[in-house]
Amino acid sequence: MCSVDELEELEKGTEVDWDSYLKAYYEKPRSAKTWSGFDVREIYTPKERVGKDYDETIGDAGKYPFTRGIHGNMFRGRYWTRREVIGIGSPADTHERVKVLADHGGSGLNTIADITYEMGLDADHPWAMNEVGLTGVNISHIRDMATLTEGIPLDKVSWSLITASTVASVTMAQYIAVAQNRGYDIRGLRGSVQNDPIHFRYCGFRPACPLDLSIRLGCDVMEYCTRNMPKWYYTTVNLYDLREQGITAPQEVAFGFGIAMIYVDELIRRGLSIDEFGPRFTFYVSCHTDLFEEVAKIRAARRLWARLMKEKYGAKDPRSMQFRFAVHTAGCSLVPQQPLNNIVRISYEALAAVLSGVQSLHCCSYDEPMCLPTEKGHLQALRTQQILAYETGVCNVADPLGGSYFVEELTDRIEEEVLKIMKQVEEVGGMKEAIRTEWLDREFEKEALKRQKEIDQGERLVVGVNIFSTEPETETPLGVQRIPSESARTQIEETKELKRTRDKCRLKDRMKQLREDAEEGRNVLPAMIEATKTFATTGELMGTVRMAMGYSYDPMEIIECSF
Amino acid sequence: MVEKRKIRVVISKVGLDGHDRGAKVVSSLLKEAGMEVVYLGMYQMPEDIIRSAIDEDADVIGVSYLSGEHLVFTPKIVNEMKKHGLDDVLFIAGGVIPPEDIPSMKEMGVNKIFVAGSLTDPLVEYIRSNVRGK
Repeated sequence: MCSVDELEELEKGTEVDWDSYLKAYYEKPRSAKTWSGFDVREIYTPKERVGKDYDETIGDAGKYPFTRGIHGNMFRGRYWTRREVIGIGSPADTHERVKVLADHGGSGLNTIADITYEMGLDADHPWAMNEVGLTGVNISHIRDMATLTEGIPLDKVSWSLITASTVASVTMAQYIAVAQNRGYDIRGLRGSVQNDPIHFRYCGFRPACPLDLSIRLGCDVMEYCTRNMPKWYYTTVNLYDLREQGITAPQEVAFGFGIAMIYVDELIRRGLSIDEFGPRFTFYVSCHTDLFEEVAKIRAARRLWARLMKEKYGAKDPRSMQFRFAVHTAGCSLVPQQPLNNIVRISYEALAAVLSGVQSLHCCSYDEPMCLPTEKGHLQALRTQQILAYETGVCNVADPLGGSYFVEELTDRIEEEVLKIMKQVEEVGGMKEAIRTEWLDREFEKEALKRQKEIDQGERLVVGVNIFSTEPETETPLGVQRIPSESARTQIEETKELKRTRDKCRLKDRMKQLREDAEEGRNVLPAMIEATKTFATTGELMGTVRMAMGYSYDPMEIIECSF
Repeated sequence: MVEKRKIRVVISKVGLDGHDRGAKVVSSLLKEAGMEVVYLGMYQMPEDIIRSAIDEDADVIGVSYLSGEHLVFTPKIVNEMKKHGLDDVLFIAGGVIPPEDIPSMKEMGVNKIFVAGSLTDPLVEYIRSNVRGK
């Protein structure tokens, strides 16, 4: 039996606010702007395309300027690669998760390094010990790379190695050394390395990525792979991480292209021709929640890149003009409030990627705003890709949104805006200058602040955050990913043990060679590969090259060179 | 009339975690709300943060965690605070922190946690109503 008070309380609890119900019935969208702030009209008509030639401005998929896609038959030829980024704890922990996803229909391996490795620190470095394996896999030496790749046929799979910093050079050396030790011909290896150290200064890795070292080592990898590994994608210029700073879609493309052109200019300066390396140049792009804008952005990027390569750099091979890209759905669009809603956000973002003709896709896990992906979270993200591929029919036709009056108009507007921003960058002295003077930092900070204010003031709505919010969650629906602390301990112990027991004489010779090559401006990859075979560690390889280039041995300036 | 002293806030990243977009945005927003904010930047160890908090006579310490390092560094920061008698300084954490860890972080000594996606007003309000001298 309830008391009168309790009954009244109960009735109040179930009472519907009919005023707000009626308001909801008549509710209209508050804004007619895209995510990036473009005003849009009620309807678009054929008038928008008067005077614009189809072949010249759009063209069929597979034909210059590739607005509609780089392959004529798009996914009829092959689905996009379903890659989920994996990196937890030790190489053995990560290896296990790689196998789980491969077992469930993942079609590309994709492993990501932890903070300590990206910074170029061994597991036993005083700054590394707290954080080994927390955000990715730690690889301190060749044995770690061997464990990570154990039992996997490296000549058959396509492996995407996500090391973005200057340490990508070490990653390639370790991967190549393991492959050679196992008897593979490296000319047959397929996959990619992120290797975009310039952008990585904006992801918290400035000590590991000074600008000249970034260009030098980034391009050493690009040059080495171009000459020795014809099936390897030697860079994935990362527009995604730039977008995550809070910038708009056109800024994402403009700033990303600015960085890409620094590498292109350097490779040409080294004597490579654009058509030698152009066909293996790739990009990593964000897909945010505004579906049409994201599709238009990618179509604009394809057209712009094709024209840049042909008109500015004189490319003749159509493959050099193709904007090849992977998509990472926008991590910064996800929120921990009502976390299952993230699955829906990710699905729309993945749909944008597929409608744009993506080559390879990573769907975020719904749990990323709480922790590293759990196994269940990872599998669910893979299933999102599989539902798109097998159930929705969206991959039957190339560029299905092409010809939409709206999408074509938005593509043109984004292209114009990108060109405008690229001109601004030129006006501050070019991309290197924009980076050196921190002009780019200020752009990021300005935009990030603007985005947060839009949410605070309710101009930008995020369900569960500033509209329809509920009590905070007390648990994560499918559990939390924990990093076993013994993984870090083992990692540290094994690194110390390796340093104690290796043949130091042979190692010293190889390191001397590396130092000389670095000092005299030769490509460091060959010497790095040989040194890693004699158990030089990640920190030692990076430190040696850093010193040769006039930097501190240790990016954190704590330990000294022991050679 | 004596001008009222502004609330002083020290914001920091800790360890190697480089996700600093949020920490910078929060610093700017608290400044706009009339507080005095010092953003220490990246690569701070717990001792560095506490030393700065003492030097700046901070009323509030805000630490941003986005790389799963919150359980490693929180006890160390709390220890340093105790060691230096900063008992009346508010310790606020923010970032990517699973809800499962919030009770234990509060037990360790964090006063309040604002996870990713939090709005600015409740943060400003929380600081104003809980800062020492209130």
